[in-house]
Amino acid sequence: MIVIKNDRLREFIRYAVPLFIIPSLVLAGGFVFERKRHILVSLAVAVFALLLFAAGFERKTTGTRKLVIVSVMTALAFSGRFIPFLKPVSAITIITALYLGGEAGFLVGALTAILANFYFGQGPWTAFQMLAWGLIGFIAGLLAPHLKKNRINLLVYGFISGIAYSFIMDIWTVLSYNDGEFGIKLYLAALTTAIPYTISYAVSNVLFLWFLAEPFGRKLKRIVKKYNV
Amino acid sequence: MVRFHDLNPAVIAIWFFAVTGTAMFCSYPVICFLTLLGGVLLFAIRNGKKHLKTHLFFLILYVILTLANPLISHNGKTVLFVMNDNPVTLEALLYGLNSATMLTGVLYLFRSFTQIMTSEKLLYITSVLSPKISMVLSMAIRYVPLFSRQGQKVSDTQKAMGLYTDDNIVDDITGRMRIFSSVSTWALENGIVTADSMAARGYGTGRRTALKRFPFGRTDVVFLALTIAFTGTVALAAAHGSYIFDFYPSVSGIHPDLVGKAGLAAFFLLVIMPVIKETEAIIRWRYLESKI
Repeated sequence: MIVIKNDRLREFIRYAVPLFIIPSLVLAGGFVFERKRHILVSLAVAVFALLLFAAGFERKTTGTRKLVIVSVMTALAFSGRFIPFLKPVSAITIITALYLGGEAGFLVGALTAILANFYFGQGPWTAFQMLAWGLIGFIAGLLAPHLKKNRINLLVYGFISGIAYSFIMDIWTVLSYNDGEFGIKLYLAALTTAIPYTISYAVSNVLFLWFLAEPFGRKLKRIVKKYNV
Repeated sequence: MVRFHDLNPAVIAIWFFAVTGTAMFCSYPVICFLTLLGGVLLFAIRNGKKHLKTHLFFLILYVILTLANPLISHNGKTVLFVMNDNPVTLEALLYGLNSATMLTGVLYLFRSFTQIMTSEKLLYITSVLSPKISMVLSMAIRYVPLFSRQGQKVSDTQKAMGLYTDDNIVDDITGRMRIFSSVSTWALENGIVTADSMAARGYGTGRRTALKRFPFGRTDVVFLALTIAFTGTVALAAAHGSYIFDFYPSVSGIHPDLVGKAGLAAFFLLVIMPVIKETEAIIRWRYLESKI
């Protein structure tokens, strides 16, 4: 296991990796190479998600419990996909991030994308799904105090993250359709055609946060308090 | 006598990622064809006449993937016929054929990969990178069937108690939500128990050991060296620009230069390596048998 000893460096990596390095890698993969190079990007994103994990979860005794809870949440987010029509992945990622911190949220989001794609098919889109869901979780972790205080804030965050997810995925749509090139007109067109999906993401986030945030939050809070995760 | 699946997992994984990676990056017709050839041969030599259903499935997939593109994309110069006011072009058809070849080849390879890479081999590889993340992933994979089984149990119980109806959508969704909630409480508690059990057995206290040992022998070194050399040659040719190929507006011909030809030869050898290894092992085995 890569254990980073220096606290400052660890703190820096914790914020730099999800907020700066991963997005710039994805964009570089889209812009710099003349043809589609998404698999490379996908690999790089996975590696950096791993680095983040190394930086955040390196403490051992609390680590084991948190580790298992993260894998439980990942599996739950994945099996939640079998609820008809709606996808609770973002909602569960957000709820995890609220009570276990941003890195846990990032991991649940990113790992659910990999896990889900074992069943639904891996592809270049894996990188973008990992990034989108991971960031939704990470930012929820940063905003946790505000989101926990007020339910309206949480629902608004869920709505915005649903739209943001669709917007990020549409970048990939444009890149893959246009042989690796990005065009703003095409992007706008993609956004317009994706409106039903965007709404469905946003609505299912709001719906699941509405139904799950309270009971699920209670469960997680209880676990965190009872077992000192 | 070392067969392909007896090689060190790292070597096998590197070979798979080298081949599938090259195929996906280049999407050059010859390379796509060689990938499909290698994928089918490897799968066939490992499984013999079994898994005919798999072949049938891939054949149907191949046809669908080929035909999907001309129905969606209407770029290209040569119009074959017009359907629903949309032109169906030869270029789009060929593009679809090329993508279908590449995808089917990669899918065949991944099918063999799944057969060869048992979970302990995969864990061996990921645990070199990060033991914890490999743990989380493998546990999550294990939890999925566990949770659905538990969900089934809860659902049966609720039905038996007359709590669950599915004749209208609101009741159905609230019922599923209740099951989900119950399963998740159980899952979290169960997770803590698992974690404590792991900690009690000394998880994370020392270097991780694997149940099975994977030695790195002479064959592994040779195989790895050849993989790297062949992949390097193809990568050089790709970087040199030998594999630029356009379908739209009209199909450019396949005229690789000398570097491109060398790269293609290297890729052919790369793809065929495991098949050669398997054939050699089979022949040796027969020879040993007949001597007894």
